[in-house]
Amino acid sequence: MTGRRDFLKLTGAAGAGLVLGLRLEAKPRPGETAKAAFKPNAFLALRPDGTVRITVPKTEMGQGVRTALPLALAEEMDLDWSKVEVVNAQPGPDFKSMQTGGSTSVSSTWTPLRKAGAAAREMLKAAAAAQWKVGLDQCRTERGFVHGPGGQKLGYGALAEAAAKLPLPKDPPLKKASEYRLLGKRTPRFDGPAIVTGKAIFGLDVRRPGQRFAAVLRCEVPGGQPKTWDEAKARAVKGVKAVVKVPTGLAVVADSTWAAFKGRDVLAATTTWDEGLAKDFSSAALEAKSRAALTGPADEARKAGDAEKALAAAARVIEAEYSFPYQAHATVEPMNATVHLSPEGAELWTGTQSPNRAQGAAAAALGLKPEQVKLNVALIGGGFGRRLGTDFSTEAAEVAKAAGGGPIQVVWDREDDFRHDLHHAATLHRLRAGLNAQGGLAAWAHRIAGPSILRSWMGGQKSPSQASAEANGAFDIPYAIPAITVDYAEVEAPTPLGWWRGIEVVPNVFARECFLDEVAHASGKDPLQFRLDLLGNQGVVKFGRDEADIPRLKKVLQAAAAKAGWGRKLPAGHGLGLACHAYDGRTYAAQVAEVSVLKGKLKIHRITCAVDCGFAVNPAGLEAQVEGGIAFGLSALFTQITWDKGRTVQTGYLDFPPVRQGDMPEIETVIIASSEAPSGMGEPPVPLPIPAVLNAIFAATGKRIRTLPLTGASLA
Amino acid sequence: MAPIQLTVNGRVRTVDADGDTPLLWILRDTLGLTGTKFGCGQGVCGSCTVHLDGKAVKSCQTSLKEAAGHTVVTVEGLSKDGSHPVQKAWIAEDVAQCGYCQPGFIMSAAALLKRKPHPTDSDIDEAFADHVCRCGTYPRVRKAVKRAAGGVK
Ligand code: FES
Ligand code: FES
Repeated sequence: MTGRRDFLKLTGAAGAGLVLGLRLEAKPRPGETAKAAFKPNAFLALRPDGTVRITVPKTEMGQGVRTALPLALAEEMDLDWSKVEVVNAQPGPDFKSMQTGGSTSVSSTWTPLRKAGAAAREMLKAAAAAQWKVGLDQCRTERGFVHGPGGQKLGYGALAEAAAKLPLPKDPPLKKASEYRLLGKRTPRFDGPAIVTGKAIFGLDVRRPGQRFAAVLRCEVPGGQPKTWDEAKARAVKGVKAVVKVPTGLAVVADSTWAAFKGRDVLAATTTWDEGLAKDFSSAALEAKSRAALTGPADEARKAGDAEKALAAAARVIEAEYSFPYQAHATVEPMNATVHLSPEGAELWTGTQSPNRAQGAAAAALGLKPEQVKLNVALIGGGFGRRLGTDFSTEAAEVAKAAGGGPIQVVWDREDDFRHDLHHAATLHRLRAGLNAQGGLAAWAHRIAGPSILRSWMGGQKSPSQASAEANGAFDIPYAIPAITVDYAEVEAPTPLGWWRGIEVVPNVFARECFLDEVAHASGKDPLQFRLDLLGNQGVVKFGRDEADIPRLKKVLQAAAAKAGWGRKLPAGHGLGLACHAYDGRTYAAQVAEVSVLKGKLKIHRITCAVDCGFAVNPAGLEAQVEGGIAFGLSALFTQITWDKGRTVQTGYLDFPPVRQGDMPEIETVIIASSEAPSGMGEPPVPLPIPAVLNAIFAATGKRIRTLPLTGASLA
Repeated sequence: MAPIQLTVNGRVRTVDADGDTPLLWILRDTLGLTGTKFGCGQGVCGSCTVHLDGKAVKSCQTSLKEAAGHTVVTVEGLSKDGSHPVQKAWIAEDVAQCGYCQPGFIMSAAALLKRKPHPTDSDIDEAFADHVCRCGTYPRVRKAVKRAAGGVK
């Protein structure tokens, strides 16, 4: 047993600086009277009526954390799920480093949340045992009740006050998986009922008394600044209250969103710009620079053996160039934030994946201390990494500061969202493979050239892990090849960048798995057998910062192939293609795509996905992540952002077309049963549909597509 | 300009705003009905879908003037308690991911099933051709529409 205060620090598996402080404290906290609630830790409050509030330290953005994380705690505490209420954590002393990304939400909170639940359960049992004067081991818990040896029964609510006075157990026992009632079962999304009735409140739905709305007129070229403008006309628009200068442009403040948009249009017509450093940026120029970098110096991300020597000695060398464009996150809810300044500080409502950083950045903009900014994490209408950025929430703080007065919601429109995204950068890939006289793969060289997302994220600094970050998915190629070189050549680009769902693994695995398919065909082998042979009898393989359990990868590959009927006879014009990857060495996935190309028209019929992400906390949620991840990956077959004169050419869903209802193939998911600790599922399905489909197109048509996006012309 | 009257979720509302204001912003900013979402304002994402006299329309492309004197139903007005067959099917199939696009899909699904109680796959594709779900809920949208088939009166 420990004292009243105990800090248990757990570092997230991401290594992305995610430290979750689980604060175990039996004292009531502000806003709760000592009698009202039992709050053994920051995640949990039990009320005398038996209802339970669980605080989720991760941002819900569709990945199901407001269901999966509370389930872990509820399971150990033996809660009645229907009495659980879920709230989002606010950054502050209890939650010092909240960040949602890297598919780490479940893995990083799995143990602390279960321990929190188990500790509470043991305390409630102890409180009941003391009251009944029986041994602790004679008591058991079930669905919100403690049961005693003589048929006694007390609800958790009735025990809350007594339990709150007990010391915290230091190492409460955790259940065995065979004892689970909630975990591993299909549980529908907690927020479902609020969503289908329109009651779920996203950032853009925040409404405060006296709220005004603002739209910011920004230079079409990121980083550009207004030179001259005429406010008078904009102010004359009905409903417009003010025009103020902010660091990102000119904000039009109005009494409705529409008036703000209208005022901004009028203002735009009177504004001249200094377009700044990015004004000549173009995709064509960047591509030329990247192509030159495919053969120049580079930073090493993986080296095994001497690939150059092995290539020189190879009986046959195959070489190809792959190209992946810039991408936008294109969340359906555009960026937005609402800020209310008061004499004491500020209150901020926004959908953010980085609550602490958003709080700190807004505070800095306002000249406040972080604790003076109360940040409310709203539901997110799509994150995909975009809302790791603090640009939109900081901008809203600037608007509130410049405009003064009551609450202001800054709303981005669709074009703002495309032009001022933190885009995922384009890359070119040069791949070379050396085959020996027997057709065996003896050497592999993968050069990646393009702008560094990590550098942009680090404020322009080069991180020591830059090469491995930009080569993620390439340096951890899981195949046993005697000589491997993977390196990264940085190419400068002037606009801000950010990760998207699947990070650099998406372009890198696209190039790797397509090229491997080329090599398999060149050596006359079946692509499945070729991969299985290359995975061979390896066990756990280490590559620098990561390692992968190769037998788990083999198993998903075989499972997906079996389910999809790999090798079966197909109708004319149809083809099967596959791809696999051990994502960050933690989640194993393989996909098989079935496509047809008839008269130049592509149809993606079905994608079969096998996954091993350890124990499946909520299979319903996991399958949703597979379906959603595949949709996100498939969209990247068709979408791109291109730059011309410093501006994105694309400004909406028509010229950046994500898959829609009629494009979506049938999805079959095979979950490999596992008792390993759960790992992430948000991103691992994303990279695979691209190479699986392109490899299937090759199987169907003999056409090898190496440049994305896929156009009608590339299939003709 | 004279105030404009329309019926929203069974209530007659009088709105004092320019007739060219998109219905979307009247619902969200004037009437506080934030269940109808803003996704693009360009008529191509479907997030803003509502019923105008029983037909699915994009409220970002429908002006207040066009709605004047007509009957509008938003997701908040589809049922009192989430008991519309489409809402029930949506829960049963656990469709929503982030949920942002979902009111739009639900409103289009309800209008489709009223028009065509037993839609084919291609009817479903067509009904959602103007909708974007970046989270990729499409497979479950299809299942939910089929589950609700025949149940919408
Ligand atoms: S907001 Fe109306 S269609 Fe997108
Ligand atoms: S559920 Fe997130 S956009 Fe559709």
